[in-house]
Amino acid sequence: MTIDTVELEIFFHKVTAVAEEMAITLQRTARTTYVKEAGDYGCALARPEGRFFAYPKTLGVSGFLDSNLAAALSHVPDIEPGDVILTNHPYATDGLSSHMPDLSLIKPIFHDGRVVAHAWSFIHSADIGGGVPSSISPRFTELFQEGLQIPPVKLLSRGTMNKDVLTIYRANCRVPEVNLGDIKAMLAALHVGEKRVGEFIARMGVERFLAAQAEVTSYATTKARAVQRRIPDGTTEFWDYLDDDFNSRIPVRVRCRLTAKDGLVHLDFAGSDPQVAAAYNIPTGGKRHPWLTLKLMHFVFSNDQTIPLNHGMFENITVSAPRGTIVNPEPPAAVGVRSATAIRLNEAIVGAMSLARLGLMPAPSGGIMIPSVLVEQDPRTGARNVMVLQSLVGGTGARDGADGVDGRDSSLANQRNTPIEKTEEEAAAMITDYALRPDSGGAGEWRGGTGVVFSVRIAREGSAVLGRGMERFVFRPWGMGGGRPAAKARVVLNLGTPGERELGKLDIFHPKPGEVVTIMTPGGGGFGDPLRRRAEAVADDVVKGYVSTAAARRDYGVVLREDGDVDAPATDALRAQIAAQRGPLKPFEFGPEREAWEAVFDDATMVRLNALLMQFGPTVRTLRRREVFETVIPNLPEVGVKPLDAVVGDTAAAGRRLAAELARLEGDVAALSHLA
Amino acid sequence: MTRPHIRIGIDVGGTFTDFVIADMRDGTLAYHKEPSVPVDPSAAVERGIAAMIDTGRCPPESIELVVHGTTIGLNAIIQRRGARMAMVVSPGNRDVLEIARLSLPSSYDFTQPREVPLVPRNLMFEVNARMRADGRVESQPTEAEIEMLAERLAAAKVDAVAVMLLNSYRDDSLERRIAAALRMRLPGVLVTESAVLWPEVREYERSLVAGLNAYIHPLMSLYLDRLRDRLAGLGVAAPIYITANNGGTLSLDTARARPIDTVLSGPASGVVASCRVGAAARTSKLVTIDMGGTSADISIVQEGAPEFTTSTFVGDFPLMMPVVNVAAIGAGGGSILWVDAQGVLKVGPLSAGADPGPVAYGRGGTRPTITDCYLTLGILDPERFLGGRMTLDARAARAALDTIAASLGLVGPRRAEEAAESALRVASAKMATELTKLMATAGVDPRDFSLVAYGGAGPTHAGLLAEEAGLPTVLVPMAPGTFCALGAVLADVRRDYVRTARHLVGARGAADGFAKVMALVADLERDAVAWVAKEGAIVGEHALVLTMSMRYPDQAYDLEVRVPEELRRAPTSGALASVFHEEHARRYGFSEPGSAVQITTIRLGVIGKVPPVQLCARPPAAAKPRTQRRIFHDGREHDAAVYDRASLGEGAAIAGPAIVEQLDTTTFVLPGWRARADRIGTLHLAKETP
Repeated sequence: MTIDTVELEIFFHKVTAVAEEMAITLQRTARTTYVKEAGDYGCALARPEGRFFAYPKTLGVSGFLDSNLAAALSHVPDIEPGDVILTNHPYATDGLSSHMPDLSLIKPIFHDGRVVAHAWSFIHSADIGGGVPSSISPRFTELFQEGLQIPPVKLLSRGTMNKDVLTIYRANCRVPEVNLGDIKAMLAALHVGEKRVGEFIARMGVERFLAAQAEVTSYATTKARAVQRRIPDGTTEFWDYLDDDFNSRIPVRVRCRLTAKDGLVHLDFAGSDPQVAAAYNIPTGGKRHPWLTLKLMHFVFSNDQTIPLNHGMFENITVSAPRGTIVNPEPPAAVGVRSATAIRLNEAIVGAMSLARLGLMPAPSGGIMIPSVLVEQDPRTGARNVMVLQSLVGGTGARDGADGVDGRDSSLANQRNTPIEKTEEEAAAMITDYALRPDSGGAGEWRGGTGVVFSVRIAREGSAVLGRGMERFVFRPWGMGGGRPAAKARVVLNLGTPGERELGKLDIFHPKPGEVVTIMTPGGGGFGDPLRRRAEAVADDVVKGYVSTAAARRDYGVVLREDGDVDAPATDALRAQIAAQRGPLKPFEFGPEREAWEAVFDDATMVRLNALLMQFGPTVRTLRRREVFETVIPNLPEVGVKPLDAVVGDTAAAGRRLAAELARLEGDVAALSHLA
Repeated sequence: MTRPHIRIGIDVGGTFTDFVIADMRDGTLAYHKEPSVPVDPSAAVERGIAAMIDTGRCPPESIELVVHGTTIGLNAIIQRRGARMAMVVSPGNRDVLEIARLSLPSSYDFTQPREVPLVPRNLMFEVNARMRADGRVESQPTEAEIEMLAERLAAAKVDAVAVMLLNSYRDDSLERRIAAALRMRLPGVLVTESAVLWPEVREYERSLVAGLNAYIHPLMSLYLDRLRDRLAGLGVAAPIYITANNGGTLSLDTARARPIDTVLSGPASGVVASCRVGAAARTSKLVTIDMGGTSADISIVQEGAPEFTTSTFVGDFPLMMPVVNVAAIGAGGGSILWVDAQGVLKVGPLSAGADPGPVAYGRGGTRPTITDCYLTLGILDPERFLGGRMTLDARAARAALDTIAASLGLVGPRRAEEAAESALRVASAKMATELTKLMATAGVDPRDFSLVAYGGAGPTHAGLLAEEAGLPTVLVPMAPGTFCALGAVLADVRRDYVRTARHLVGARGAADGFAKVMALVADLERDAVAWVAKEGAIVGEHALVLTMSMRYPDQAYDLEVRVPEELRRAPTSGALASVFHEEHARRYGFSEPGSAVQITTIRLGVIGKVPPVQLCARPPAAAKPRTQRRIFHDGREHDAAVYDRASLGEGAAIAGPAIVEQLDTTTFVLPGWRARADRIGTLHLAKETP
């Protein structure tokens, strides 16, 4: 059965509205602040086999469109009308819940005895137990530390609540009432979805309803493929680094090999680092997963805003994510901060796409999300007050034809910030600065957006400042097409005073009253040769303070007169001089840190090293990996406060140490295979 | 000489300036339209009133009140043609407009630009003035520092300045001091203090209240003065009031000082008029739809009075002040049809607007629009559009739709009509989905609501929308094309006040918090009553409407709760908390009656009652069709009776399919629907129950 195109267009708008109505219902009734403030929730309608055909355009998390209910459903073979499945299990669901605070509910919708759709909702709940309040810490190494594991179970069985499940659930979270409120909100959303599906079937008949699901998704596939044909046929390879895995200072590399053919795209993540003994692993089950296809979704939608948001968008993409790597870890590896890895991974995809054709994608953004937190103590009672000071992000990367956005970044989660006045209602500390960070955007014909500077002056004895998600302290957001990399992140104590001190990455820091802690986020990468930026645009950046006069000269070759206008002859001369002195432009500019690192750990060596490490079981693999890096770069623990290039030091000597380590590893692997 | 008895409501639109003349003696209404003069809207106002004076309809001495709605503030903001302005902020807050609230317009589309900040970064000035959240002054500028600031502002050659200090919502005196010093040193520069205008917590939103006010301040002052002079020149001595965002009106002097209060008044006036039409029809649950050539706006009315929102947008910028809650749901009759590469028909988001407008206007438009669809389907009569003021080119419209039909792969002699009908279905479905979502947000059921349709295309499309969205009835007021002008003459005077609190009520030990809340309420009442007393002789009694944003102490979000009048008059801590517990239970299904309640924001509206216009009854008259024509609907042709609206008296009944024509719009009564005119002439369209 086919649906005519007018029906199709109407169906698309209507089912999108149903998903949004579900989201509105959830949002109205949910209790956790993650829903109200951060929009960390989702709703959708799925096809019987488990992929989404209806998804909200403006509400909740945009990035989970490519989720799949199939694995979760496979654990509950005996579904009946009225059942609702509850789960948060990253491994049992192939990453439907990609970390455990993300509670998923699935309601199979029946018509005449068969499943015709599923309603789905999820909430990032305030707490699911585990080793810390709110359940997430980068230092955790196993799922068991991250809270209560709920494999897919029936929360409702034929419409009746399974009280035993609730009892176990309540006993395992710190704020059971809030969490129960959230479950009610999710159920209310599912109810709306089911009701509306019933109306669709009453209006159009079940066969046409199923046919329309198929048509609206294949329509999205056709449209997405038309966009993806802009990626030239061929294979490109790219990689990027997380600064470290938190429990060590060893950089974590994610690697993407992209093969495009007539609009079909294959992403192969082989060569990415092994899973880590920290919460940075991305559970995907080795299958196509939202965290692996996020940037392709942005690419497709940015080029065709009329495309229906459904799984059809992704059906031109295949992936390969080898088991045991950070993109397909083996249980029970911890997964709480998988988003940090996903950001980097998606930037590697951006790089691979840009190698295929420069200009398809913007340069990377600041690439971080830091919920900076302040803990204050009541001086008499000792009662602790924990508050989010600010959600800090960097700027967005420049793209061919447009500068990046300063001080904002929607590429992962489009969060709102906290007004200073709201923070100060709660805190005794004072926010002394929340402003753009001049010169932090990567220079280019199109300038990367600047990062921000955020300063808090501590008021109380016993205060603590925390910041999770601190990244890009070691490796910079890179520039593209001749554009320059952006500034790295920094944390500084008492900036601009004689006692100024570089703190590097914060885990938890205890400043004294009167001290000022300043967090600076990275800018976005630049695009294109900075010498080709219109001199007037540079002058305007200087007038408005995005770029300093000195940087205008140094990075852009633009000389300004006293009155701020461009000194054209001096600029022409300076630009000619810079152009003559510098070498040929590189397609990507990574900055000195990555160049020094790769002078030792080049791609071929890393692929070989990882192949060897994969011969060991997960625990030994982690230990051996750590041993290699700490032997080759003995000063590695100093990185973060000191730049990586300084820490690496003599690259030739480090290279010799690496060769010895590899030889030793090879010997051990050979011995291992003898054992077998 | 007769006592003044004529009220004139004026609404300035992009194409026409509408006038409604209400005679207070018998409640009769008359209408007038004058081509707008975009460069000086007051010229059209003057011309229109002069014309009405000349025809003897309203001698200058008979006019008791002129109520004017203007969009020049809004247009200046949207088109970014406001003052060259600067903003003065606290240390560390210079990028409040750059960073905004951090989020970007889209999380899917990286090509969507962010807004251009209202004030460029080089015109943001930090001054050594900082307050703490408890109202203490942390630092304040010396005379020398203020002098230096004034010099920098003078050098920047700005016409307006907004002063916005962190935490000033607690106490406006530091802002006042700096503003006064700047006014003294910078004569001719209009200075706005954020906390004087709207003392509510959240620096980005408050900086926009101050910034937008400053941005349109010079322009609006000039305009309102010119308006007053022009009317005085015509001998009109009646007071002039300006419609406001909250559905009320403000004296000219208040509007001049607080122009931000007027920027969203146009849509608000239409909702005010809808409430009156609804009341006459004994309906208090309404969805209003104002559909013109370039926009379609809807609003939900639940208890016979407009609903407010404190999170809306003016152009690119959020506005935190209470405004009548109106949402855009589509682009109106000018929405352009197109076919994508996969052969799927799309409607909008591009609009042909009024210029070039639909293909049928013959002004150079080549891409068919929704209006072209109405025409091709026979719903509009090419000879009688806008009462015959404009002849439509039906042949060109049909040809353009035929091209669309070809791209869709349609064949056969009626394929243009089929394409037109498909486009209307797509447009209706899109509007209905937006409507459904708004109703879901409000937690209400469309089947309980009537659709009030106005604007040039509202009555034409309302039946299609009601059918699609499941609303059982449609009300079409007498003069849908000048409905916002009618709303202007029907409105009372109204202004809103705010204080940010953060006090507990309800639980034991919260007596202190309650006393503080009551002190703030008393402050607000004093300000409000003093203001309304000076708002003009036309104002009679006043009423106060108190609302509070409340939450449980551990919650991250507020619920806005109306304090019932009897409780407002005799408040107790426990009763205030109870109102919240009840509302919480009603909305979310649970409450925590044992818990204290935190009050975060207090808002007080003062309504100055203006003696009401009594809408006059129309004599009964049966419906007699003027003619009949073929229309295309639901895939086939129908014979539709065509009626003149003017001939329909009370009780006139019509069975669909039918067309009702009048000067300013065409109403389409769908097959399976009936229409009946009520006492004041409103047409009630209702779906026949099968």
